[in-house]
Amino acid sequence: MTNTTAPIKDNQTYQISSRRMDVDKVIVPAVTIFIALLLFFFMLFPLWTILKLSFFEQGQLGLANFTLANFEKYFSTPRLLNALWHSLYISIATTVIVTVVIFFFAYAMTRTTIPGKPFFRNIIMMPLVAPSIVQALALIYLFGRNGLITAHLLNTDWNIYGATGIIISEVLYCLPHAFVILFTTLSAVDIRLDEAAESLGATPFKVFTRITLPSAKYGIFSAAALTFNLTITDFGNPVVIGGNYNVLATEIYAQVTNMYRFDLGATISIILLIPSLMAFMLNYYISRKTFSMISGAAKPDIPPSRPLKKWLNTAYCTLVSISIILIFATVVMGSFVKVWPYDWTLTLQHYKFPSIGGYSAIWTSVWVSMVVGVVGSFITLVAAYMMETRRPYFKQFIYFLSVMPAAIPGLVMGLGYILAFNKPYYWFYGTPWIIVINIVICNFTLGILSSISNLRNIDSSIEEASISLGGDTIRTFFQIIFPLSRVAFFQNFVYFFMRSMTTISAVIFLVSASVHLAAIEIIMLDNDGWTASANAMCTCIIVIVMLMLGILHFVSKMTGKRTQVLNQV
Amino acid sequence: MSKKLVLENLSKHYGSLIAVNNVNLEIEPGEFLCFLGPSGCGKTTILRMITGFEEVSDGKIIYDDNVINDVIPQKRQFGIVFQSYALFPNMTVNQNIAFGLKMRKMPQAQINSRVAEMLKLTGLTGWENHYPSQLSGGQQQRVALGRAIAIEPSVLLLDEPLSALDAKIRVRLRIVIKRLQEELGITMIYVTHDQEEALALADRVVIMRDGEFRQIGSPWEVYKKPKSSFIAEFVGTSNFLSGDKQNGKVRFGPYQFKVSGLDEIKADSVHIAIRPENVEMVGVTIAEENCLPSNMIETTADVINFLGAVVRITFALESEEMLIDIPEKEFERIRLKRRDKMKLYFPPDAFHIYTEHFRKLI
Repeated sequence: MTNTTAPIKDNQTYQISSRRMDVDKVIVPAVTIFIALLLFFFMLFPLWTILKLSFFEQGQLGLANFTLANFEKYFSTPRLLNALWHSLYISIATTVIVTVVIFFFAYAMTRTTIPGKPFFRNIIMMPLVAPSIVQALALIYLFGRNGLITAHLLNTDWNIYGATGIIISEVLYCLPHAFVILFTTLSAVDIRLDEAAESLGATPFKVFTRITLPSAKYGIFSAAALTFNLTITDFGNPVVIGGNYNVLATEIYAQVTNMYRFDLGATISIILLIPSLMAFMLNYYISRKTFSMISGAAKPDIPPSRPLKKWLNTAYCTLVSISIILIFATVVMGSFVKVWPYDWTLTLQHYKFPSIGGYSAIWTSVWVSMVVGVVGSFITLVAAYMMETRRPYFKQFIYFLSVMPAAIPGLVMGLGYILAFNKPYYWFYGTPWIIVINIVICNFTLGILSSISNLRNIDSSIEEASISLGGDTIRTFFQIIFPLSRVAFFQNFVYFFMRSMTTISAVIFLVSASVHLAAIEIIMLDNDGWTASANAMCTCIIVIVMLMLGILHFVSKMTGKRTQVLNQV
Repeated sequence: MSKKLVLENLSKHYGSLIAVNNVNLEIEPGEFLCFLGPSGCGKTTILRMITGFEEVSDGKIIYDDNVINDVIPQKRQFGIVFQSYALFPNMTVNQNIAFGLKMRKMPQAQINSRVAEMLKLTGLTGWENHYPSQLSGGQQQRVALGRAIAIEPSVLLLDEPLSALDAKIRVRLRIVIKRLQEELGITMIYVTHDQEEALALADRVVIMRDGEFRQIGSPWEVYKKPKSSFIAEFVGTSNFLSGDKQNGKVRFGPYQFKVSGLDEIKADSVHIAIRPENVEMVGVTIAEENCLPSNMIETTADVINFLGAVVRITFALESEEMLIDIPEKEFERIRLKRRDKMKLYFPPDAFHIYTEHFRKLI
């Protein structure tokens, strides 16, 4: 048998290239430093600028310049102070409503055998494909001064502008976000606990209050904290439906764009940052506990629910779904009829956008979102790979920086960007690139978290196998880790694309005379009274996002067989 | 092509936890060495320090007279076979085996012939275009072996490579590994907690416990001459009896056993161990006239386990649960049943004497 090895034995032995290994030594530090710098320059630096502007006169650092005048002004001006109370009121009300509504929805989806679960699931996730303005637009068409229901069906003077309108819009906007958390929690908790309690003689009510609710408590808190954060930082809905009812987010915008009071805008940003940071920290703290409760044990099928329970839950889910469908149907319909709600003749006239942006804004949005999708999902995957497998120095610090963006309201970040980068030597200012950077940074957290959880599913021996065979960092990443992360990469791409197409608050300060974005156009159109065209623009965004989802769904189905094979490993 | 590998005063600490405590070993070129020990004994940590994935806290790893503590894993030219196979799921068998060669910029023609040779060596010819997920566990581990050997490693390190496999395939792959080692002459360092596997494969076995080497020797030595009661229990199976030294015999309860080598022991109370296959059944495996009367007992059979080649019978001796193995052929003649009386003999020279007693926690 020894002669079998003989033929390939030649005198030349092949070695791992030393130069490549020398390069490899600097790759990890270089990439880590790059990511740290990215987050420093495009997250901490703008935040620092805001902080400076609110606490120092003219934003000039120095003991003599330190001032609390902005804060004094804020707390002594009733209109400004009210914005804080308004924001808290709206956010707390929304949080309570959303948590209750979505808990029962998620309960029905996980603990009962109602029919049509995939349908309900798709519907509840729908608000993600539209800017957080679609709810307000639809509610105005239905319950506004000229609303279909208020003015025409009920003939009442009551309308939805103000706090009620904001709360209902925010509820309908936050549902999918809260649903994802509670759905995960409730599916993770072992249903056999319920069965065990029932077999010991507990009544269904007791089972619910003593077993189901306590076991989901972290999920409930986490969903509540997230809802609070989303609501208090949202800009699109309150600006459209709020009327004179100002909240912190709309006040920042008003101070900056109408009054040119950047210092006050910065001050309100700090005030907005505090509650949203608190909610984020709470959520961060809780979600760690939630995941520790999820066990890998096989879950048995849910036993068939009793008929009454089944139909009550089905009716409930239908009701929630109808309200979401109603929102989307109203906006789409409103964009196609001549004069809502008087003249129902179908028309395309609202798609001849009267603003400067128009279709070019849509194209800009699409290509910006494509770039954001590719760059965002790639950078977060690389960053996650470095942190998870290469254990660089300051790993904890980089990780902390990476999850921070989720705590910062988009509007605050956007304001920070104009304050920090509105200098002639920042060539990217005023170009679409600053928008790309901003959106990538604003959504960095979720991208990196999902990349990390994906990498943790890859057996660490695979990485070591590659290294022991002579694989350097770059080739290990591109030949093994990247192909194995393809599914997560697609998912992250969709996420970044969707966020980029629909975000308003992050980029509203960054659009300029030459750079228009579709989501911002909606606000501009609505502001100028072109409500139907605003609806049309909204419809365009929805269609584009749905198309992208469809394409990626198709692609992943086409490669599904290989993907499945890969996932088994 | 393998050279001598030396571990010198090697230690690994994790904070205050000592995983490996100052161990020394010289591994000869072409040797098949097994690290054997219960989980958490530090055997995998040693392996990972040799591979370079774990930093050395103290001491040296010396290969071919060079200290390699700080050499990066890629440069060590050591092949590794993992318990989880760790095949690249996105690559075919061919691509997996060729990976290390590609990293070394070997020309494609040579890669092809080398891969073909590896396929032949591991018995995988015909499977080259399959993905790992299309192979059985045993086949996947063969690919992993081929992939590790393809780069002509100076040392092949195997970390419990067979633990994830079925018993049958495990035994078959054992033979594949042993044959590869003998044909290629590579130093192989093999980590396992399966004593049977270690005895079957190794030229030398290193028995580890609590981060230390407890016994180093050939499989025959560690089985026949276990240095401590722990090893007597861990390698194979042993019956233990505790008693007092009296009149040159070991006394426990009403019994006084003659035990060879007892005079050399200083302590007054001793623990004696005997393997189940060394206990004789009087009138079946040994004639009564060949037995010392003091070492004979009468007892009743308890549980009878049919193990194939041997039959294992449980019995009680002074509240100790004991085992005797008798060849299946002998058993067939007597057809013993539960609660049947039997006469057993404990040959004096079959005992090992220990002054400490390791109690297995079950």
